[in-house]
Amino acid sequence: MAAGKRQREGPTVRPRKRAKKAPSAPEPDATPAPEEYSIPPPVSQGKWKNKERVLIFSSRGINFRARHLMQDLRTLMPHSKADTKMDRKDQLFVINEVCEMKNCNKCIFFEAKKKQDLYMWLSNIPQGPSAKFLVQNVHTLAELKMTGNCLRGSRPLLSFDPAFDKEPHYALLKELFIQIFSTPQYHPKSQPFVDHVFTFTITDERIWFRNYQIIEEDASLVEIGPRFVLNLIKIFQGSFGGPTLYENPHYQSPNMHRRLIRLSVAAKFREKQQVKEVQKLKKTGSKVLMEEDPTEVVFETPAEEKPVEIQLVKPESKPIVKDKKKLRKIQRKKQKKLFRTEASA
Amino acid sequence: MRTSASSRCFSQRQRDSSLSDSELQEAFARGALKPGLNVVLEEQPKRRNDVAGLRQCLAEFKRQLAWVERLDVTSGQVADPTSQSASDKDAVDAENDFQREMSFYRQAQAAVLEALPKLRKLQVPTRRPDDYFAEMAKSDQQMQKIRQKLKSKQEAMERSEKAKQLRAMRKYGKKVQTEILQRRQKEKKNMLNAVKKYQKGLSDKLDFLDEEQTSSQGNKKGSASQRIKKGPNAKRRYKNQKFGFGGKKKGSKWNTKESFNDVSSFRSKVAHNKGPGKAGKGGKKALNKRPGKRARQKMKSRAR
Repeated sequence: MAAGKRQREGPTVRPRKRAKKAPSAPEPDATPAPEEYSIPPPVSQGKWKNKERVLIFSSRGINFRARHLMQDLRTLMPHSKADTKMDRKDQLFVINEVCEMKNCNKCIFFEAKKKQDLYMWLSNIPQGPSAKFLVQNVHTLAELKMTGNCLRGSRPLLSFDPAFDKEPHYALLKELFIQIFSTPQYHPKSQPFVDHVFTFTITDERIWFRNYQIIEEDASLVEIGPRFVLNLIKIFQGSFGGPTLYENPHYQSPNMHRRLIRLSVAAKFREKQQVKEVQKLKKTGSKVLMEEDPTEVVFETPAEEKPVEIQLVKPESKPIVKDKKKLRKIQRKKQKKLFRTEASA
Repeated sequence: MRTSASSRCFSQRQRDSSLSDSELQEAFARGALKPGLNVVLEEQPKRRNDVAGLRQCLAEFKRQLAWVERLDVTSGQVADPTSQSASDKDAVDAENDFQREMSFYRQAQAAVLEALPKLRKLQVPTRRPDDYFAEMAKSDQQMQKIRQKLKSKQEAMERSEKAKQLRAMRKYGKKVQTEILQRRQKEKKNMLNAVKKYQKGLSDKLDFLDEEQTSSQGNKKGSASQRIKKGPNAKRRYKNQKFGFGGKKKGSKWNTKESFNDVSSFRSKVAHNKGPGKAGKGGKKALNKRPGKRARQKMKSRAR
């Protein structure tokens, strides 16, 4: 890839340029001013001692989100280098040689599988240890939700959960995170300010990464991004290999997770189908004839026989009345008349 | 026997581990077998956790660097004065987005509060002056987009708030309206009652008429005056404006100096048949439907 090649050449050229520039154009505000916020001397005037370099690259077949995350990490870490995507997936130990060629002693390697699962390797190059994580819930810098901003290449504070000191594997990971993510002081590409914080928190057996901008001195923060969750899989003693030091018992592979979901859906479907079938059977199946139970009639007492009565006389026919109320009306009228005559008399 | 009722899985296990019937019977006697399906519990493979190895690895791997190089802080969360329960680490629910993010935020805050004095002591600047311009992690374009989104969100909120208020107002207005209607009805009823009473001769006072009249007259007068003030209705006003009402009409449609010089309605983009949809020469061709003079004459002669 052309972009990769360009970037490969970049770091070798740049420091020379810086070195040339620094003596010819000394900063006017190099002397410490009495005011509160003074412009510090350029980083090139300090002594760059910690020569940590991190190679950040990926395997082939990563999706856009992973690629953006990788780019974001590169912009946030001035001590990082880039390389072309790696072709082979089986022989990860080749990465050690790649890093050696690129002069890096740390590595962040993104491994994509099935075009959807993203794994992240963090490794200390020549002799290890290395750790493999599953990366979940990735949000990148390009999202509009996170409103903060920081200088490109400024050094971050690293904030760790106290849980990192409680267990040995977390302690190891903490050291690994510190060495990888902290930008060396006076790194030529870095800025002289500390204006953002990386937080690593352990919640839900996972490591949550957040990046905040420091706005005020009273610690009001705004999130910059990116954010992601690291689910630890294994820690190896060597770099990209070697004996396993730790294996996360809470880890469930995404394949397994998807399979369980599929199974549960299938089970639900099957259950529904069975219920339907049973109902169908109930509807169509002929009613089973109950055999006569001899005990059913135990408590039935035979009724006494009554003599048969025969009506010999014709029943009186009722007079057919058209207006059923007429009779009653006539009666009432008569009564009224009677009442009146009595009253008048 | 239990074995007959047990699942296929169990029978498989039976075959695998060559469990005999007698053994099963024993197990049943002990009470190890429960009624229902007996499924073999798969033993979780032992997960490796080499504590000694981890410690040793850490000791080898650790680099002794000054704190300025590492800038790491390990701290709990800032105690939140508003809610004590949430400040517990154990209480943080990973599924509750807000609570979880808040816990991260507070952890970062604690780290910042701890680290800033240290940094100041080491004379590492933490705040960039306003006139210090350098490349940022997010481009200006991106920040502009973010700002726009925030703005639109806020606007939407305001709009919805306004709509809510309006709805409440309308509700209140309705209530007032019904109240007024009810009051009027009541007044009318009272009046009618009074009239009835007078008719029957139960009372010989006529003052109820007076006060009603005065009040109603006052109302009517007020409305009349309002009508006068308002002028004609909207339809009439529009017609007046359209067709003219009063004043001199002659010459009103003629051009004046001002109207002649006024070219504000001229739109260069649309003028000369340059419609918004048609671009360049293609549009011109499509528009020029009328053939040229020669062609027209030819057509005319042919038709004859």
